[in-house]
Amino acid sequence: MTGYAIVLESARLERLQAVGNIAAIAAASEVPVDIFATMGGLEAFDKERIASMDYEMGEVGQAMMQAEGMDMAMFYENIAQAKELGPLSVYACELSMDMLGKSLDDYHEVFDDVLGVSGFLTHAEDKQVIFV
Amino acid sequence: MSESIQPDVTVDSRGATCPGPLMDLIGKVKKLEPGTVVELLTTDSSSSHDVPEWVDKAGHETLDVVEHEDEGYWSVFIETTK
Repeated sequence: MTGYAIVLESARLERLQAVGNIAAIAAASEVPVDIFATMGGLEAFDKERIASMDYEMGEVGQAMMQAEGMDMAMFYENIAQAKELGPLSVYACELSMDMLGKSLDDYHEVFDDVLGVSGFLTHAEDKQVIFV
Repeated sequence: MSESIQPDVTVDSRGATCPGPLMDLIGKVKKLEPGTVVELLTTDSSSSHDVPEWVDKAGHETLDVVEHEDEGYWSVFIETTK
């Protein structure tokens, strides 16, 4: 195993934050990480969604949003910071984008490229796959 | 022991939640020479435990972890080894 390949399907804030945290620390520690954002997980990176902070969340997510006096980085911020520190690549699902008629310009600039399933599986073949 | 530790570099991550302090530390450590003593300041209790875990795994050395109860933060002293 030479790293993690994370399939991010969820748009739920707690899951997004957990993926951002774990991927960031792994990559910053020189463990290779690929994130494949698909379906709802891709839409979590939509610029308008980020601006409106319109995320499904539970008790922990609400506590995060309401925390005062804390500097809590969002999942896309942790991922962006980690990309400067270690081997972390982020890919957008081509099918999801096609279904919505979107391009990478519609999403946060954290993405490296657009991939189909076969392309991502090629990236993932030497990694432990995690589905979120 | 900590009173005798004089850091070469201080990383002030007070206010940041996990994993912010560790990310700040890693970003700094990657640019430092071996033998550099770093003091990480954090108000995040989980980081006071988690940072030493990373330090050991990364092959550096944790010198001390000091809780400043009245001020509500921790000092994590480490020394880079590579």
